[in-house]
Amino acid sequence: MLFLATFFPTWEGGAGVYDFVGEFMKATVDLADLLGLHLVMSRNAGKGEYKIMVAAMGWATAELVMSRCIPLWVGARGIEFDWKYIQMSFDSNISLVHYIAMAAVVWMFTRYDLPKSFRLPVTVLLGLCVYKAFLMELFVHVFLLGSWTALLVKAVLTGSISLCSLFLFVTLVHSN
Amino acid sequence: MFEEASEVFDNMFKSSFPLTFIVFIPAVLILVSPLPTEAAHEFTVYRMQQYDLQGQPYGTRNAILNTEARTVEAEVLSRRCVIMRLVDFSYERYQKALRQSAGAVVIILPKNMSTMPQDIVQQFMELEPEMLATETIVPVYFALEDDELLSIYTQTLTTSSSQGSSSAAEVLIHTATANGFQMVTSGAQSKAVSDWAITSLEGRLAGTGGEDLPTIVLVAHYDSFGVAPWLSYGADSNGSGVSMLLELARLFSRLYTYKRTHAGYNLLFFVSGGGKFNYQGTKRWLEDNLDHTDSSLLQDNVAFVLCLDTLGNGDSLHLHVSKPPKEGTTQYALLKELETVISSQYPEVKFSMVHKKINLADDTLAWEHERFGIRRLPAFTLSHLNSHREAQRSSIMDVRSVSPSSRHGVGEPPAGPYVDLRKLSRNTKLIAESLARVIYNLTEKGAPGDLQIFTEQMQVQEEQLSSMVDWLTAQPRAAQLVDKDSSVVSTLEYHLGHYLKDVRRHYVKADKRDPEFVFYDQLKQTMNAYRVKPAIFDLLLAVCIAAYLGVIYLAIQHFGVLYSVVRRITAPKTKQH
Repeated sequence: MLFLATFFPTWEGGAGVYDFVGEFMKATVDLADLLGLHLVMSRNAGKGEYKIMVAAMGWATAELVMSRCIPLWVGARGIEFDWKYIQMSFDSNISLVHYIAMAAVVWMFTRYDLPKSFRLPVTVLLGLCVYKAFLMELFVHVFLLGSWTALLVKAVLTGSISLCSLFLFVTLVHSN
Repeated sequence: MFEEASEVFDNMFKSSFPLTFIVFIPAVLILVSPLPTEAAHEFTVYRMQQYDLQGQPYGTRNAILNTEARTVEAEVLSRRCVIMRLVDFSYERYQKALRQSAGAVVIILPKNMSTMPQDIVQQFMELEPEMLATETIVPVYFALEDDELLSIYTQTLTTSSSQGSSSAAEVLIHTATANGFQMVTSGAQSKAVSDWAITSLEGRLAGTGGEDLPTIVLVAHYDSFGVAPWLSYGADSNGSGVSMLLELARLFSRLYTYKRTHAGYNLLFFVSGGGKFNYQGTKRWLEDNLDHTDSSLLQDNVAFVLCLDTLGNGDSLHLHVSKPPKEGTTQYALLKELETVISSQYPEVKFSMVHKKINLADDTLAWEHERFGIRRLPAFTLSHLNSHREAQRSSIMDVRSVSPSSRHGVGEPPAGPYVDLRKLSRNTKLIAESLARVIYNLTEKGAPGDLQIFTEQMQVQEEQLSSMVDWLTAQPRAAQLVDKDSSVVSTLEYHLGHYLKDVRRHYVKADKRDPEFVFYDQLKQTMNAYRVKPAIFDLLLAVCIAAYLGVIYLAIQHFGVLYSVVRRITAPKTKQH
């Protein structure tokens, strides 16, 4: 966030226009997430699956605590009920699955014995993982989705990414 | 068990210090942090009157509420806050809410009273004193309508009217999707205000020609009354009386500056407070002047006392007396002059004298002159109202003034009582002419009935009256809201000081042991409306969340199944390689 605030100028345009380029740039910074995951996994000694699981769960928990704990604490304990807290909780579940998938893809990317045919799908999946948030905002903006529909779309997207990565993972691990 | 727990704690403290914080901090936070609040809608509400007069309590006794909102159509009203709109207001509904021991009543008033039909306004005016007459423990509030409040009302209406008429499935869906509203006031419980000082103002114009001149006293009370103190603006009653008094002060002070027109009467002007609470200001003023001072204008030669009360409208004038004036007195002279002036200059005005004996057994006195009558001073009250029991003397609907230059738009007159500036200035001129005839003894000197003194430079200035009434109706002037530092009092003092000499303040504080009047605070509150879900909803939600977590748990436990399926799908491909 500090990086974002320092290096990206504020969007001066009209409120209705969606700043595609700006948001795209901001999402590119999420590449740093991948670096972080890779670092965590390389420090962990163990079998591939354990590395993935530990790194992903740790990352997801950190994200939960940092970004969702405070709103939930402050907001959900009030007298008023709002469906957005339920949505936030679902979102945290979905991002857990997403991080597991992302960690698996990163791990596969850095494997030296990755077959050539896998390079492309893995790279595509990696790109999807990073820009998933950007894609979601695009969908919401273009199709004007409601909050529950957006959650559904997000779940479907994450589900498909994780299924693909699961397929690739199984193929990689059991091809030897 | 406790030894193990202590062992765990020991280990925690010894090994990694930061980790222990992670365990403790949420627990501490749960216990310590206050519940934050963010309301769906926050609005100002004005409480119904609460006061004790001569030991008798009136109005609502409670100020706090924290209850769910319902409308009158709902079946169960007990411990709920009943919301009503003014258009739907009726005494039966109000009584129904009180009978079922509702938690509170909130009445929504439209922002612009002139959109209300006449009969609703009239009906409400009639009901105001009835609502106040009985003491009730249910807090009654008034709120001004805005869009959000209206939407809250319509949502509550659909919830309340659909109760008890639907099937079980509908009720279930209803509980999940409905929105209830919890109304909470932010203030404390109401308590009596101690040491409240009601302020009155007096000023005089001394006559010329020796000692022991007769005194004429002109009185008007400046406070207003209504079912809610913060909403009582009192345009006609008694904003008209005060502005007329000030205009008369201006005219006569002008006359008195010139030696030729300086008359042989002392003029004493008194703007009294606490008028709607049985004329407390006047009562104490009289006591102080007659009992506690050695010499006062009131003790010596009082010709008469003229009280001005509600003169801003209407085509009739009534002179209310407690004893018909005897022939030969100055009182009688004023009566005759009024008749003369009206019959020759204002034939459209119907004039009559209303004789009503002072009834000391009544809870409150009828008109202000009765206070003077009790102390044996000749007094009468001039008003366009026939009876002191008229609802418009103490109504919150008495709000504004209409001028011929119609800033408020031409067309229909307002629904409730109002001040018609043309009639107010006509009445002012009428009274001024009659007073002048008495003071200068014009009829005896042979002046004709249609002689007009107040013309050209001495004209009654309608703009002056208009700006006075506008200023007076710009703020609520209930006696509980005007204390001695209030701007109303200081502005009145300033204006009186322009025209009169010896302008003095006079304070009334209630007696400690046997108070004649007791006021209570917490008259204006901020009410918050929170969107709440019914209690069943929490249960339903908890069950759903438990089910969801159970499903997730099972999915994770049996993840191996998915894994083997994927493996089987991908295995043939690799075998081909």
